[in-house]
Amino acid sequence: MDQETVRTICYLARLKIDQNKSEKIQKDLETIIELIGSLQSIDTSDVEPLYSPLEMTAFKHEDLEKSDNKKNKFLENAAESNEDYFLVPRVVE
Amino acid sequence: MSIQFKSITELNKLLDSKAISASELTQESIQLAKKYSELNCFVTLNEENSSKRASDIDRNKKNTSLLSGIPLAQKDLFCTEGLKTTCSSKILSNFKPPYTATVVKKLEDAGSITIGKTNMDEFAMGSSNETSFFGSVHNPWKKGFVPGGSSGGSAAAVAAGIVPAATGTDTGGSIRQPAAHCGITGLKPTYGRISRWGMIAFASSLDQAGPLARSAEDCAILLNSMSGYDSKDTTSLNADVPNFLEDINQSIKGKKIGIIKEFNLSDLDTEVQKRFDESKKAFENLGAEFIEVSLPNISASVPTYYSIAPAECSSNLSRYDGVRFGHRAENTDDLNDLYIKSRSEGFGDEVKRRILIGTYALSAGYYDAYYKKAQQVRRLIKNDFDQVFKSIDLLMTPTSPNTAFKFESKGTQNPVELYLEDLFTISSNLAGLPAISIPHGQVNSLPVGLQLIGNFLREDQLLNAAHVFQQNSDFHNAKPNLENF
Repeated sequence: MDQETVRTICYLARLKIDQNKSEKIQKDLETIIELIGSLQSIDTSDVEPLYSPLEMTAFKHEDLEKSDNKKNKFLENAAESNEDYFLVPRVVE
Repeated sequence: MSIQFKSITELNKLLDSKAISASELTQESIQLAKKYSELNCFVTLNEENSSKRASDIDRNKKNTSLLSGIPLAQKDLFCTEGLKTTCSSKILSNFKPPYTATVVKKLEDAGSITIGKTNMDEFAMGSSNETSFFGSVHNPWKKGFVPGGSSGGSAAAVAAGIVPAATGTDTGGSIRQPAAHCGITGLKPTYGRISRWGMIAFASSLDQAGPLARSAEDCAILLNSMSGYDSKDTTSLNADVPNFLEDINQSIKGKKIGIIKEFNLSDLDTEVQKRFDESKKAFENLGAEFIEVSLPNISASVPTYYSIAPAECSSNLSRYDGVRFGHRAENTDDLNDLYIKSRSEGFGDEVKRRILIGTYALSAGYYDAYYKKAQQVRRLIKNDFDQVFKSIDLLMTPTSPNTAFKFESKGTQNPVELYLEDLFTISSNLAGLPAISIPHGQVNSLPVGLQLIGNFLREDQLLNAAHVFQQNSDFHNAKPNLENF
């Protein structure tokens, strides 16, 4: 893993790593990838991945109308909002 | 009368006989939390609300549940309406959830009183509680030593006798390992047994809530209330919930306990190994039979976990963008800049590391090699468990290879060093199986935990074996000397 790859992953994850921590992160990631890479020696041909220990189909909700509108409570947690919306920096000029 | 270190059953009797009121009990619990504030167990105390709730319970004691009037602490990743829920992260340091997690609601419906929210590793990512934005929690047994993690605050609060029990979550050992390091009992139930609704997600296919208490019996009391199907959690199991107290006293004569061949216990610290051998002998004296079993793929658990958990973490934590809730950076140029700055300021180093690993493992070109591969190995690990549980009732391992360690003594140079601490606990999360840690002695004045792993939905067998062991030993009654706090 090189610094360029680290920069790409950081961008994909929308994270910025301080310059002084960049080398340490690169080293840590290499060590962890090496650990995970050890799985390559295990023969998994014809083995289906197990994405959840339950392997069941999710239950469906009944489509019921409810009236517990918590709009104001949800908006209260936003750093910036008006009466109806979350506010963000302008995206359309 | 001091209520410190009393069990739920003892406190229930005191409440029933009116020797103490729920208000007095709650007040003393809060006072203890303040007295031992240096332990740093709590992020938020729920003083005003819990006093009010206790008075209501005293005035209107119709609830006959064993938990009625009992003070509890909740790990700070269970949403509590109107009460700060931080996940021990800067990014959620001012978050007041608009709803309450099913687990907390069920415990409160049974009459328990939430006295506060406990400190933890940030977003439950860690095995030492050192990644918390609010600082490390001290192990009540030794100042300057970790309590384990990620449910370190919950474990320390129970071990210090502040509350008789607390909730935790376990993604790779986060209930069992701190329970072991703090000398208490901690149960990770079967995946799906307890609703995850309102429990802030780290790795959704591995996360499971569970109780921490001084004894298996008290864990059973909590589990009775915490379990059950919840239509709001799509991975909740629609399975019958037994009364976990009913068969807890049964003899364990003839129970078959497996010892995993692939875990070479002779590599362990000699004293940790000695405690294990002594407990094995104790179970034999209680009538259990030991069989050596092979789980050929179990050694791959740690790398499998450290591919799957970060992948799920990177996906789950993408919701923290500074827009709808959580920390928002100031002076941002545009929306993208707002995302990057808010997340970079809000997350700590370990969380960032795991998000980056997960992002890498899920990115184009690497998905099959890392993520899919790990999920394939996960099936092999689960198949191994399915196979051995055809001939045994339980598996027994140490909970952790070591006792609690000093602050900043592990994982600072190489994070993998700390990941290997989870060697014995991780596989049951990958397979979704229940497992319990019980105290079974000390090494260098620090507690050591013994782990029992059960078959799917067989928490009853775990609690039974643990309870019978505790009825015939005194390790779970040991109390730390708290003079230094």
